[in-house]
Amino acid sequence: MKKLLTAIFAMASTTCALAQETPTSPLEISGSVDTYFKYDFAKNPLNGRTSFVTDHNSVSLGMIDIALKKKTGKASFVGELSFGPRGQSQSIPDASQDALTPAKSSFNIQNLYINYDFTDQFSMTAGYMGTFIGYEVISPVGNFNYSTSYLFTNGPFQNAGIKATYKFSDKVSLMAGLFNDWNVYSASRGVSAIGGQLMVAPVEGWTAYINALSGAGFGGYGTIIDLTTSYQITEKFKLGLNAANYDIKDSSVPGSYAGAALYPQFAVLDAVTLGLRGEYFKFKAAGAVPATAFTAVTLTANIKSGGLTFIPEVRLDHNSDKPFFKEGGASAPNGGQFSLAAVYAF
Amino acid sequence: MKHLLFIILAIFSIQLSAQQKQFSKDDNGKFIYYQVVDSLQLDKDTLLQRAKSFVNVAYKKSMRQENATDSSVLAKGTMIIDKTILVAGHPSGEVSYNFVFEARKGKYRFWLTDLLFIPYQRDRYGNFVATTKIGVPLERTPGKLSAGAWKDILNSAYNKIEKFSGDFKKYLATNKVEKAQKKAETISTKKW
Repeated sequence: MKKLLTAIFAMASTTCALAQETPTSPLEISGSVDTYFKYDFAKNPLNGRTSFVTDHNSVSLGMIDIALKKKTGKASFVGELSFGPRGQSQSIPDASQDALTPAKSSFNIQNLYINYDFTDQFSMTAGYMGTFIGYEVISPVGNFNYSTSYLFTNGPFQNAGIKATYKFSDKVSLMAGLFNDWNVYSASRGVSAIGGQLMVAPVEGWTAYINALSGAGFGGYGTIIDLTTSYQITEKFKLGLNAANYDIKDSSVPGSYAGAALYPQFAVLDAVTLGLRGEYFKFKAAGAVPATAFTAVTLTANIKSGGLTFIPEVRLDHNSDKPFFKEGGASAPNGGQFSLAAVYAF
Repeated sequence: MKHLLFIILAIFSIQLSAQQKQFSKDDNGKFIYYQVVDSLQLDKDTLLQRAKSFVNVAYKKSMRQENATDSSVLAKGTMIIDKTILVAGHPSGEVSYNFVFEARKGKYRFWLTDLLFIPYQRDRYGNFVATTKIGVPLERTPGKLSAGAWKDILNSAYNKIEKFSGDFKKYLATNKVEKAQKKAETISTKKW
């Protein structure tokens, strides 16, 4: 591993020295702010089994997210920080936490990496990056639905590591990289995971990512295989799909899962798009812990006006093992909620 | 007080001048940016060669030549539209266009049309990328909710195309190809 990393850095520094100076781009500043109101139909905040949108009958905060990007010649950096429940205590890890300091819930680093374009086809990136696995992301600007899927919640959020990307054409590219364990700024088990992504765009408007990540992750060592694809079929209709399978090497440890989610979206008006998310998600049996499966349907609207997006949403979840709660506290097979979010992107 | 009045009038004039910038429409009702330029000192072949060089060398990252005859060049291209707040900003989308150049003795003309806007969205890595491959014609009438944002896009697209036009006319007026071939001047300190 050390030899491989040394070779990669040596190659990177040699090419840096050979690179010619090219113009500098201006500093890019962007970000978002989001807030929401949620009402759980059983008046129980514990019915939310996925990330974010946690509070019941409350106007609550998402996060403020600020990203900086600059490119000088062939080198660029991205630094993105978030503050607020969505970007700190509800995301992992807390940036104030280390081996000696317990979590204080200060802020979360979304992206902090440096990229170098060796050629128009080949680039390398090192640092802490949003994960390449999955359809949904932490930032509400990157998602159509405001609540998140089970696949998102149980997969990696971010990966620290070094990766190389080769673009064969606009239709095919390949990424391979070495990563820390999931969602950590510094490796707890060494640079112990290997990952890759094959991007193919078979027809205009259709892009598919086939992802794999094997090594240290949630529940020990494991391997996740993921397909993320979206197809803009017409100007008004888009279809997305995410399917993933995660197996923890030690089969007695709970956390292995498999699932799929479908995302049809239809623009009914210039500024209004309706979307549905239908998901099936199953935690696999592990030792004495039996398997359990969720199905969820989420109906969402995006109403846009400039940088502002209103997101009204109704979500219904089902699990025959009754992990949800009724109003009085009794267990129930169904959960449901309504939420209205406002997201401003700048 | 006089100064204040002057500043207000100046700002108002700038705003009026900015509002006047808008695309003309062609026979088909499409936006067009059309220019005819007199160029008495250059012959047709030189103009054509420089136009091809502009597309294939100077703007090679954003333009692609589609066709060429002995008096015309056809190309497709894209330009990035920025959302700027004071000195900083970020790309908000791209406008694709068809570019047509025609040369005659002593003059040439060019135009950009078929303008399509593709919005950008920030991806998981903090980069702004196209959200769709299907562009929206710039001529469309937006709904009330997106009218303000669309007006900004039109203004930004017009300004970018004006800059493109300036670059193109400058490129055709000066022979960049010959200049590039000249060797860099060397200075000897041995003799003086």
